[in-house]
Amino acid sequence: MNGSLLAKARGVGAAKAPLAGRIMPPGFTSLLSRYGIYLFMVVFLLVAAVAAPSFFSRGNLSNLVLQIVPLAIVACGQAMVILVRGLDLSVSSVMATAAVVATSFSGHDADIPSIVLLSLAIGMCAGLVNGLLVVKRNVSPFLATLATMIVLQGLRFAWTHGAPSGLMPPLLHRIGAGTWGFIPMNLPVLLAVALPLVLVLHRTTLGRRVVITGGNPMTGRLLGYPVDAIVIGAYMLSGCLAAIAGIVLGGYAQIVDNWVGRGFELDSIVAAVLGGFALSGGRGNVAGVIAGSIVLALAGNIVLLIGLPVQFQIILKGVVIVFAAACYARR
Amino acid sequence: MLSVRHISKAFPGVQALSDMQLDVHAGEIHALVGENGAGKSTLTKIIAGAQAPDAGEMSLDGKPVRWTGPAAAKAAGIHVIYQEFVLFPHLSVAENIFIGHYRRNRLRAVDHAATERAAAELMARLGVRLEPWRLVGELTVADQQMVEIAKALVDRPRLLILDEPTAVIAGQEVEALFERLRLLRDEGVAIIYISHRLEEIFSLCDRVTVVKDGQWIATHAVGEVDRDRLVTLMVGRDVTQFFPPRADAADVAAAEVVLQASDIRLGRRVRGASIELRAGIVTGLAGMVGAGRSELAMAIFGGLPMEAGTVAIGGRVFRRMTPAIAIRQGIGFVTEDRKGEGLAMLQDVAVNVTAACLDSVSAGPMLQSARERSIADADIEAFRIACFGPGNPVATMSGGNQQKTLIARWAHTCRSVLILDEPTRGVDVGARTEIYRIMRELAARGVAILMISSELPEVVGMSDRVYVMREGSMPGVLEPGQITEEAVVDLATHHRHAA
Repeated sequence: MNGSLLAKARGVGAAKAPLAGRIMPPGFTSLLSRYGIYLFMVVFLLVAAVAAPSFFSRGNLSNLVLQIVPLAIVACGQAMVILVRGLDLSVSSVMATAAVVATSFSGHDADIPSIVLLSLAIGMCAGLVNGLLVVKRNVSPFLATLATMIVLQGLRFAWTHGAPSGLMPPLLHRIGAGTWGFIPMNLPVLLAVALPLVLVLHRTTLGRRVVITGGNPMTGRLLGYPVDAIVIGAYMLSGCLAAIAGIVLGGYAQIVDNWVGRGFELDSIVAAVLGGFALSGGRGNVAGVIAGSIVLALAGNIVLLIGLPVQFQIILKGVVIVFAAACYARR
Repeated sequence: MLSVRHISKAFPGVQALSDMQLDVHAGEIHALVGENGAGKSTLTKIIAGAQAPDAGEMSLDGKPVRWTGPAAAKAAGIHVIYQEFVLFPHLSVAENIFIGHYRRNRLRAVDHAATERAAAELMARLGVRLEPWRLVGELTVADQQMVEIAKALVDRPRLLILDEPTAVIAGQEVEALFERLRLLRDEGVAIIYISHRLEEIFSLCDRVTVVKDGQWIATHAVGEVDRDRLVTLMVGRDVTQFFPPRADAADVAAAEVVLQASDIRLGRRVRGASIELRAGIVTGLAGMVGAGRSELAMAIFGGLPMEAGTVAIGGRVFRRMTPAIAIRQGIGFVTEDRKGEGLAMLQDVAVNVTAACLDSVSAGPMLQSARERSIADADIEAFRIACFGPGNPVATMSGGNQQKTLIARWAHTCRSVLILDEPTRGVDVGARTEIYRIMRELAARGVAILMISSELPEVVGMSDRVYVMREGSMPGVLEPGQITEEAVVDLATHHRHAA
């Protein structure tokens, strides 16, 4: 067969006896593509430290983390959808809707349970619709989630008459923007989301089923896994996490407009891909996504600290994506 | 005509060819056989100019040649037909054949009528009836192969190399292909024919060259050798018993029925097929590609929903099967498409062998990696999977080892039935004998084996009973003592003479 010879020819590394060449552990390139994002992160931190001593000031660091958390939360959900070969463009719209919901009550802390429940319900519904469209109607994830995004946007506009005006409950503002000493108060939210996700995805039978199904739905089906439920579940989780991120980000800004979270749909996809989630599904780990979110945020932060015009943030972001894409394309 | 001498080629870490030799005469069909990785493909690529040798010389008609690239070899009349066709599905037969040199009219525009006429002429020369305007994507695989061969004939090749042309076709289609290759040979074209199916070599080829580990082993006239001798040359050891012994006829008759599928229907592909599987018995399922064998197996396992019929297993009768039910009832299913729907190709050996029995490697919902590893270690040992350990990604393993990994997965869960669809497709001779051994060992544990195969010697050599399908129905079953290649072919094709 052609395949086996080619596999030998690629030989994953050092010169060894013919048979050994085929059965060697993964080589350098594969390690690079697996851990490259952490390398990236360290390099960025070093660059920041050298270029702008003010980077490591307490204020800058905690502010940076405050900005990273909402993106990382959305990206975790986005990553689950990407894991099952999907995409979720509706996350930004869910975020804005959740933020609008948070300001639509009286503005007192007593409303927080209702706010959280309502937002989560909206996120879950959006995810359910996305998932059902993708699984049952075989709609492409791009179109399904784009449609959900637009519909939700329209509903939001109708509800706010174009200009949301309420107040964020003070506690939500503190969670979104406050710090304990130098520890940002939204960091626990991220941990509460990410740690269980790491545990479930990498350490449970459910996670294993999700990963195998994501890599190849047909394989999952023939193994008797609940493939449809897994895919729908991924979209619903993405919707929920987007709702949480929306509340956190809305709290950070305190003043809410209809566009909270704008751009997060693409940024979250980039963060997930930077973290090693392949768009073809079945691959990636949650820690990488958080590293990916950090790298994206650092790209912006460095530009500001060095004193370059703000447009350079976008350019640097693009460069980071190209680098990452080139890195992962090797495998 | 073509003479290859002392050719060597190394890849990083592998000596793919060393001191290889090959002589091909005009007007002969020359078989090239060897296990996977023996160097057949590399040799082919060097002859076709796709790769340059490190050392050695090649001569064409006594004149030394050195290709600068595939185009140079093509210009000299050497054409390769690879396993994966290079066709454009949305273009017509004629457009595919003449791609790159369409006939043109006076305005230098493409003259479709002339192109189609020329294509029809070529098809006639091959003895194929195919309308030149049909889209290639709508053709059967066998017809696409004919288009691929016709495309090669445009350049009036002197040497045609076919890499496993029968891997994708079966039955009459194979015979038709052979007929056409013989026509070409009689016109003086030299043909190098690569195949894993040894019986084809005896029915088609004039001479055979055996390669092993990148080296030339022997060249014989086909009349001088038999199948066992060829296998011995290929694997380098004596394979006296290719197939393990079968069950006694008395045991076959007495064995308990563990699965009874009755009157299964699935659209036009399966029209009322019934099958009975017995404990400890290997049941063959033969028939031509497209006869509905895989669909029937899929329906029994629940991978495709059956429209009518029942599956009785474990004292229960199911009108609707799903893979989850099947697995719970102790049925395993080794699909014919191990990369497309069998293995988790991104994952390692450990994940793959435990994928169907996750409950046995977990405590509650939590995976236990120690148990996972020890199961994988045991499987690697028991199934002789060549890899560096449980963490070896399956994507980097050979076809035979991937197949053994897939069988190991189902061996954990198949308490009552194991279905194997083309278990040795794309698997080399050494791994093949091991897969046969594993199947018999599972049978000895009392598992009922259902083996779908398109290779007659395999069907006859392995099966204790054989069901034969034809066009979605099940014309018959062969019991011990009745199983011969002729009997299977008769049932599969409904030949004139009764068996």
